[in-house]
Amino acid sequence: MNAPDRYERFVVPEGTKKVSYERDTKIINAASFIIEREEHTIGNIVRMQLHLDENVLFAGYKLPHPLQYKIIIRIHTTSQSSPMQAYNLAINDLDKELDHLRSAFEDEIANYSSTREY
Amino acid sequence: MNEKENKGGNNDEPNKKFSIWDLPDVPMGQLPPHLQLQKTRVVCKADAPIHTDNISYSGAYASIGVDNSVHLDLFRDNFKVNVIRLTKEDMEFDMIGIDPALANAFRRILISEVPTMAIEKVLIAYNTSVVQDEVLAHRLGLVPLKADPRLFEYLSANDTPNEKNTIVFKLHATCKRGERRTVYSEELKWLPKGSELIKEAGQADSKPTTYTSFTCSQDMLPEFSEDPISPSEDKIILAKLGSKQEIELEAHAVKGLGKTHAKWSPVATAWYRMLPEVLLLEDVEDEVAEELVRRCPDKVFDIEDIGHGKKRATVARPRDCRLCRECVRGEGWEERVELRRVKDHFIFTVESTGVLPPEVLFTEAVKILEEKCERVISELS
Repeated sequence: MNAPDRYERFVVPEGTKKVSYERDTKIINAASFIIEREEHTIGNIVRMQLHLDENVLFAGYKLPHPLQYKIIIRIHTTSQSSPMQAYNLAINDLDKELDHLRSAFEDEIANYSSTREY
Repeated sequence: MNEKENKGGNNDEPNKKFSIWDLPDVPMGQLPPHLQLQKTRVVCKADAPIHTDNISYSGAYASIGVDNSVHLDLFRDNFKVNVIRLTKEDMEFDMIGIDPALANAFRRILISEVPTMAIEKVLIAYNTSVVQDEVLAHRLGLVPLKADPRLFEYLSANDTPNEKNTIVFKLHATCKRGERRTVYSEELKWLPKGSELIKEAGQADSKPTTYTSFTCSQDMLPEFSEDPISPSEDKIILAKLGSKQEIELEAHAVKGLGKTHAKWSPVATAWYRMLPEVLLLEDVEDEVAEELVRRCPDKVFDIEDIGHGKKRATVARPRDCRLCRECVRGEGWEERVELRRVKDHFIFTVESTGVLPPEVLFTEAVKILEEKCERVISELS
């Protein structure tokens, strides 16, 4: 009776932006990114990729409440880089990694199917 | 690093310091073996696993001068895929060199975000069976349909159902007097020309309209003319009819995601596990070896003869280990056997319901993850 509609989990309503950015006023080079209608699938991956960056001091994500469908990713960087830069770099790197993963997988499937017909 | 010669025997010297680089077996720039174990293996002890976290922070070993950052080229060089088994319905493959976050993301996307077609609206004309209308409609929704979802579009609330977003099925089953029969999913007939049920017309002189408006027949499309759309399994029981009972209905299938309802999930399930590693810490011989082989239900261990009538246990099939921990249960066994998992080697199994072949499903999952990353970055500007 009180459950929200299932499509609320991934349909962004009119007027809300998918990604918004808030700088932290008290700490330099720190910011939070609020991504609407996403959950652990994207959050954990972006957090993992941010950890691999040398300029990132702190990276974490959370879901404030399981019934509010958004994630908050918090990034602190050194002065060599900025949170926006780190975020962009992480997602672009992820893109390239996934591309490489997909082509490696397709090559392996093609190899496997050609060596044994099924 | 403060280096001083470690004079053997002078144990009462004050402020004696030595660095680990003086030890003969630690190569420069690499981690000492105990830290390497902590970083790359999960050790499964008898009560709980240890070293389960992923040390991915790039400065984790900065104090000993080892760089833990991973660049794209390192990923490219280390990443490997091995296909173990590939059939029309399921697939088992290994991915080496990726992070658990990526493996979990693929599992989540395969289960809930790869779209499929499933029956959503059921228009029941006549139902005198013991199976109620709503129960029958629920069962019809769960039937997997062998239709490629990439050829269809989503149907939103204010769209009209047409041949690009709906598939129409018809079911008409009767049971003769004095008999009983079962209605199977093979009796769902595909109607390529659209719905046949006529809507109640408001004006008497307008043309009778049906519940869908197909502009052309769906079997004109080359993909469907040889391979008609049908449920992917024939012998799914939909209902059972008694004497003189009848079911007549029309079912409309639309595209959706597993996130909205599990009927749209394209996999029976998809799961992954880490590669097991089983080590014998000391020589296990004779009766102890026999007992070890007897204890393991997955036949991981084997006996080999080493002459003089003595037997020794070896690890023959570590990959089959399912971590039942029988070999480390009890007194003294933990010193003989160590169970480990390799942290970046994942054994994926994907079982498809028949909608798409499993390798296509995984490729779609990677594409969907790429699209998500795109959206998360482009919407920022």
